[in-house]
Amino acid sequence: MTTAVATHGLYKRYGRQIAVAGVDLTVPAGSFAGLVGPNGAGKTTTLSMITGLLRPDGGSAEVDGFHVWRDPVEVKARIGVLPEGLRLFERLSGRELLLYNGRLRGIPKADVKQRADELLAVMDLSGAADKLVVDYSTGMRKKIGLAAALLHNPSVLFLDEPFEGVDPVSANTLTEVLQRFTASGSTVIFSSHVMDLVERLCDWVSVMSAGHIVAQGPLADVRGGRSLNQAFLELVGGPRGTGNAGLSWLGAKTAEPGADA
Amino acid sequence: MTTALLFAQLKLRLLAGNLRGDLQRRLGFVFTLLIAAGLAVLGFFLMSLLRLAPDDIAASLVIVAFTSFLISWMIVPLLAFGLDDTLDPAKLSLFPLRTRELAVGMFTASVTGVWPVATLIVMFGALAGLARGPGGLLLGVPAVLLQFALCVVASRLITTSLSSALRTRRGRDVLGVAALLVVVLAQLPNLLMNRGFGDPEAMLHQMAAVLRWTPPGMAAHAIADGGLVGLAELAGMAALVVLLGWLWIKALSRALVTPDVSTQGASVRKGSGLADRFLPDEPLAAVVIKELKYMRREPRFRVGWFSAIVVTIALSFSLSRSAGGAEGLPIVLTSVGALMIALQAGNAFGIDGRSMWMNAVAFGDRRALATDLAGRRLANALIAVPLLAVIAVATGVFTGHPAMIVPAALAGWGALGIGLGVGSVTSVVLPYSVPERMNAFSGAAPGQGGLAFASALGAAFGVLLLALPLVVPLAFGLLWVSALAPFYGLLAEVLGRRLASGIGYARLPELLAAISKGS
Repeated sequence: MTTAVATHGLYKRYGRQIAVAGVDLTVPAGSFAGLVGPNGAGKTTTLSMITGLLRPDGGSAEVDGFHVWRDPVEVKARIGVLPEGLRLFERLSGRELLLYNGRLRGIPKADVKQRADELLAVMDLSGAADKLVVDYSTGMRKKIGLAAALLHNPSVLFLDEPFEGVDPVSANTLTEVLQRFTASGSTVIFSSHVMDLVERLCDWVSVMSAGHIVAQGPLADVRGGRSLNQAFLELVGGPRGTGNAGLSWLGAKTAEPGADA
Repeated sequence: MTTALLFAQLKLRLLAGNLRGDLQRRLGFVFTLLIAAGLAVLGFFLMSLLRLAPDDIAASLVIVAFTSFLISWMIVPLLAFGLDDTLDPAKLSLFPLRTRELAVGMFTASVTGVWPVATLIVMFGALAGLARGPGGLLLGVPAVLLQFALCVVASRLITTSLSSALRTRRGRDVLGVAALLVVVLAQLPNLLMNRGFGDPEAMLHQMAAVLRWTPPGMAAHAIADGGLVGLAELAGMAALVVLLGWLWIKALSRALVTPDVSTQGASVRKGSGLADRFLPDEPLAAVVIKELKYMRREPRFRVGWFSAIVVTIALSFSLSRSAGGAEGLPIVLTSVGALMIALQAGNAFGIDGRSMWMNAVAFGDRRALATDLAGRRLANALIAVPLLAVIAVATGVFTGHPAMIVPAALAGWGALGIGLGVGSVTSVVLPYSVPERMNAFSGAAPGQGGLAFASALGAAFGVLLLALPLVVPLAFGLLWVSALAPFYGLLAEVLGRRLASGIGYARLPELLAAISKGS
């Protein structure tokens, strides 16, 4: 098994708060990997450090065996990134964004044009290709962002919450493209907290909680006969059956005057 | 009353929350606080000095001052969105607040802040300066409060009724440039006054006579008069404030349920333009094409270029009048124009902001960042070089020194090169976010002002220092030096870019974080 991504003791703190406390993430090449964890577990920070967008305070990260901070040329040619929040060059049209992105990476213009047209068609964006990105909806932005990340044919794709705020039709398009991508031997790593989706798509899962990896391995091993959701809740310490202690007023019908004003 | 208290607390807490944990923001806030306090004290002092002036002049001055306060309250929030840190009513729409409570709360939130308090203090200065006798004082306090309320309510009414337009992208794009036109128009009386026709006292009285019956005029008159007429005027003002307040609440409840309709965007042309045909098919071309498109489409760019040109024209008018027909004037003006253009390049990555990650994940080495900078500079020069030639010709012809056209253009190009070179360095050493502040409800990221100021100051100092080898001989009339200027400028640009790409690549993550704030 060759590893596509490996980190050793990756560490980041903001002031007194430790965001990522020594993460050893491993993802085998060719896998469709899910990085799951509750909000604030450090998923985005970890992905930002592996993709070279955020400087770690300690530890190291490797992509395809190249050190992210010592061999940036090799690493950056091999990775595609779709970060959180998804600010794009808003005043370019979708097509112009792809052309810019491809040519910035030194791909000849004719090639970029052909790839962009194909990607726009697959993503069902041909109709909106000449509209400014600033006017795109969330789903369209995720799709054009993914197209931009795929344009230079990376071997590892990092996606931060790619399905958040995306309608089912666009989500389906995204998953089809990604499945085709991994079928060819490339690697996808995406963060999410939608367990059903991860269970359906992924063959490799890493579970993060409070800045640590608490479980990692093939999907079947991590969930161990349970549903992934159940396994996840047990791993990160979900509800302990005390959820009904307070909140006795919730759902109780009251006749308070003026409450409906 | 509890509503008012609650909202005042909310606003103070928001202000405090904004400052937490960020030294830059805290310094920026202290800076704002000092300026506001200084202006308040100075304004109060100047206003109270009116006590020494003759009665009619004092009254006229206060009438004009009150009117200008009202007008600035109406216009400034639209232009300097950073100053307007009022609550966004959309955030309150889900709370079960009655319209009256919402109005009281929003009003309280609007007046809780540094600038409103400063305005109020200055206005009370007028009371100290203008009121003669107990009647004036007695009427003066409500008059000042009413004038203040009028300012706040009118300002709210305008931003709220424009908010539906401001929320669409196109509306914001238009407003960004239109705001500059207002600034230019506001300069007109100034320019006219510099011409010096009529004596200032007669002009003051003329203006005051016209403004006497406007609401601020009535407030000022009520303070000076102090009699029954003043009381009637105040009653009229109070009615007006209530009416405007009512209109504001109506506009508010409408704005809250009117959706944004700007998603139906228009398409753009497909071609990539002339530049693409002449540049080799390399990353450099991609950057140049993108930058040229951004200059055309991004309002912040348009505002930058537009103001550079306007400032140059305004300076030409005032300098050519005051300096007579000095021979070196075309050189000075063209160089100033070049510096105004280059000034925009002092924070090259700021407008990209968060989208800069797309470049960052593609840049594997120092050279990639250097290419990016080179592309931005080239795009800038493609517009600026011909523009400076036009400025050189225009100033040469208008000042009556056509012989100076060629030296002026050469010196201008040199200045542009120096400015761009220094700008490359400040772009990576002191980067800051340029928030999209074209929204009347969301303020600019506070605390960045100090950084922007430091960057501009550093750039100005660097340019000055580097320009000395050209400025000194030119000042002594050695015109042939200007022939060297473009080469010197180019050298400065290249060296600046090399230095900047070295520094910038080493701290790319930090650069990215610095330009991603607040937008």
